Amino acid sequence: MTAHAPRLRHPATAMNDAGAIGVVTHIQPFSLHDGPGIRSTVFLKGCPLRCAWCHNPETMQAAPVLAYQAADCVACGACVAACPARAQRLDGAAHRLDRSACTACGACVPACPRQALELVGERLSADAVLARILPDRPFHQSSGGGMTLSGGEPTMQPGFALALLRLAGAAGVHRAVETCAVCPPERLDALRPQVELWLVDWKDSDDARHRRATGAGNAGIRANLRRLHDAGARIRLRCPIVPGWNDRADHFAGIAALAAELPRLEGVELLPYHGLGGGKAARFGLPPAPCAGVAAPDAATVAAWQAELRRRGAPLLARA
Amino acid sequence: MPDDAAGMATARPGRYPPGMSTSLALDACDFGVATGHAAPRRLAPATRRLAARYLSGEMGRRLAQGAIALPPAAVELPPDLRHACAVRCCAEQAPLRVLADELLVGAATLQEAAWHLVPGLGGERSTSHTTVGFADVIRHGLGPLRRRLAERLADPALDEAGRGFLAAAQQCLEAMARWHARNVAELERLHAAAQGEARERLAGALAAASHVPEHGARGFHEALQALWTQWEFLRLCGDWSGLGRIDRILGPYLDADLASGALTLDQARELLAHFWIKGCGWIGSRPGGSGDAQFYQNIILAGIAPDGDEVENAVTHLVLDVAEELHISDFPIAVRVSGRTSPRLWRRIAEAQRRGGGIVSIYNEDLVIRALTGFGYPLAEARDFTNDGCWEVLIPGRTAFSYSPFDALPLLQEAIGLGDGPVPEAADFEALYALFHQRLRERVRQVHADADRSFLGGRSAPLLSLFVAGCIERARGYHDRGADYVVQAPHAGGLPDVANSLLAIRHLVFESRCIDLPGLVAALRADWAGHEALRARARREVVCYGNGDAAADAMLRRVFDDYTAAVGAVRERAGVLRPAGISTFGRELAFRAGRQATAFGAQRGAILASNLAPTPGSERNGPTAVVRSFCSMDFSRLPNGTPLDLKLFPADLAGEEGLAVLIALERTFVALGGWYLQLDVVDEAVLRDAQAHPERHANLAVRISGWSARFTTLDRDWQQLVIDRCTHRVG
Repeated sequence: MTAHAPRLRHPATAMNDAGAIGVVTHIQPFSLHDGPGIRSTVFLKGCPLRCAWCHNPETMQAAPVLAYQAADCVACGACVAACPARAQRLDGAAHRLDRSACTACGACVPACPRQALELVGERLSADAVLARILPDRPFHQSSGGGMTLSGGEPTMQPGFALALLRLAGAAGVHRAVETCAVCPPERLDALRPQVELWLVDWKDSDDARHRRATGAGNAGIRANLRRLHDAGARIRLRCPIVPGWNDRADHFAGIAALAAELPRLEGVELLPYHGLGGGKAARFGLPPAPCAGVAAPDAATVAAWQAELRRRGAPLLARA
Repeated sequence: MPDDAAGMATARPGRYPPGMSTSLALDACDFGVATGHAAPRRLAPATRRLAARYLSGEMGRRLAQGAIALPPAAVELPPDLRHACAVRCCAEQAPLRVLADELLVGAATLQEAAWHLVPGLGGERSTSHTTVGFADVIRHGLGPLRRRLAERLADPALDEAGRGFLAAAQQCLEAMARWHARNVAELERLHAAAQGEARERLAGALAAASHVPEHGARGFHEALQALWTQWEFLRLCGDWSGLGRIDRILGPYLDADLASGALTLDQARELLAHFWIKGCGWIGSRPGGSGDAQFYQNIILAGIAPDGDEVENAVTHLVLDVAEELHISDFPIAVRVSGRTSPRLWRRIAEAQRRGGGIVSIYNEDLVIRALTGFGYPLAEARDFTNDGCWEVLIPGRTAFSYSPFDALPLLQEAIGLGDGPVPEAADFEALYALFHQRLRERVRQVHADADRSFLGGRSAPLLSLFVAGCIERARGYHDRGADYVVQAPHAGGLPDVANSLLAIRHLVFESRCIDLPGLVAALRADWAGHEALRARARREVVCYGNGDAAADAMLRRVFDDYTAAVGAVRERAGVLRPAGISTFGRELAFRAGRQATAFGAQRGAILASNLAPTPGSERNGPTAVVRSFCSMDFSRLPNGTPLDLKLFPADLAGEEGLAVLIALERTFVALGGWYLQLDVVDEAVLRDAQAHPERHANLAVRISGWSARFTTLDRDWQQLVIDRCTHRVG
């Protein structure tokens, strides 16, 4: 090595990071609701929770999954011929997909003339993800935006998330992570130095109700929040409010109390239920979400929620 | 700006949706703003009520039809003098509309004028697509113009045509003075009869109108009246001019009035609002086609003056105040922006845009000026650019402008054998491209040949010619090569569809080789029927222009460069300048008839790309990718320009963060080298609701291209075009 050779601080790490492989559901450019400015949001697959109102059921499982839109299918049989796992078959004039046999190899997707099949979840290296994000840097920079990891749950792929965050940081990209914080605290500790902003979900202040609605209690989340907060992390609390599930006075009071316990919290974002994910479940062979049929709140209801949170002293963010 | 090709042909009396006359409702419902983004109420309640009356069509529905009768002897006159006779008759005979609650006087009350005809001349077309020069009369009054005409008429070397033209122009000038005098007399009568506050208001209007345009303006109110009188008299006689740089023209008068205390900013805003409101006097006169409020009355704001100084002044901001509050979509406003644009102005632009309607658009002025100087205009003139009433740039007050639109997609479709000819033998993609390139050059050669004969008479415009530099000196009218600059701009449409077709052909035929060219052509001839699998493959596998994809963008760049090179081969010939432009305006509707199914999977009859925007449905990566793709073209090669149409979802722009995002998006557009951005903020669901319940959306405005339209007054086809253009909603 000559004296003038460029010196990489952690050449081995950088190389490993670039090649780290994750399962990515989708990369959303021009994302405006996951942190400040114009952002590119990377949705990682896999989630430990099963929220009753989940908008993105396709991100629940960690592995890629085949989406099938029955309404577009004409039962032509093209996928049957293409499927090496024999998961697709014709039952008379009806198409059948055996999900237990499907390996999500994706061979049937290009065969379908009606584009009724789609593979959700792509195995990508961290540098491939970054390569898709970096062209939008002029927009990130002019708007104070950057990259947000979301999901699913980013901490379900801790190695990949860390690698991607490190790579993005080295490229000067602002980094936010949206998390349900249902994970071992060490995972958050490992990511924390690579994250400029945390968007932490807070779904119900009542532990039992939280468990009923999501499959897990909130005590661990509370502890993780406190741990991040005390370590100096910049945090916004994100509170999905779903009519009939958590639009209760005691939850609003709980949000305000939690915010008061975390004085350096940047603020609270209220996310009114929008019901847009409702029709998705069937495409993935999942039962309808428990809150399917819940109507999205009207503007007056949302305004009333916001007013209540403000009245209770929660530091509501303007955009919420 | 479809002119007779698409919009105007259908511009005849139609039926208005019920509810368009509910002016009170208009005021109450925030003038039809449907984005939920509020604006401050700065204007007086009476001014808002007046706006609601105009926007409801109350004035436009009462235009007088067939009111102008020429003396029988007029048929014997040569065209310029016959036209001047019609102008005189308009001045003498047109019904006056002087309202006691208006601060400016004069109204274009003739229905034929709103149909783009010269009142009194049967079906004779009037003139549009230019911005004339109003500043001299504002500043100096009519005297210098009279003297110049008299001096020229005294020239013994004049030919008969020249003498006739100048005499006609002279008559037109006096006709304008006569019409104005009729208005002032009516104003005097109202003033004499008025009491109290109304009398005071009328006294102000009367004082201003009594001084101008005969004499040079001494203050903002007079300057505004002088501008209005000229522009509105042109409109009365059927000529539709753009207004141009209203802040540059009027700003110094307002600055002086503010400094002396003659006016407050609030008073000036009221005056300007009356100008905007009276500009809506034709709304309701012409439903159908491309909308009932498309009269080419464009306004340009900010940017630099010929000496390089920044223009932004109090008028710049007042214009945005008025447009934002009253949601008047015609006048369309284009702001010239650059790295020098003040944060305050950026904010005001974004605040107005966020309300929706696509009323405020932006020019990347440094790029436009570079393209114009590169084309050969002197720097000082290039710095003063405005447009023709849409977005095609020109030098105001000295340009006779027209453009030659053509569809480039059929050239490619014929080249591959989708026309009458056989499917060609093409050994590789390059051979096939060469066939297209040859047809493109031939087509542009034809456009150039046609342009040689542009502006060689046949029409007459002695009134408008008064305000176009060169006409008096040359003793020739606007349509007769009188203007300093005679411009016939070639305008290609369908280029994104060409590039996407080429990408698909290259992929399907020459790379993946899943089908040969005759097979593909057969599938296209069949409109893809029986070839669903191939079509699905084309739609899935071909990455189109507009996705930020290097290869796709390079394909359009190649087509773009070849087109601009072909046009640029002839900068000027036969006295005619030919700056290249790219547009469809709304012609993507009319173009459908000449197009076959496309190789990228569109079927016959689909509405394809507007201007240089991505083909609808082909872009999957959102607005940042669209902007990057668009900006990868070298627009300094395109001196007549092209717009990017972008739509954003209202809720995405909420709050301070939303405003900051909008500003950042536009600043990045400029930094990346975009040319002109017409950005609309619209919710598709609202548009569909407006189709079902037009009475609920009387003044809902949407951007078309270069102009905005009141959605419910559009034909169904045009409504569909607006809905089909993708809404870039974030996930």
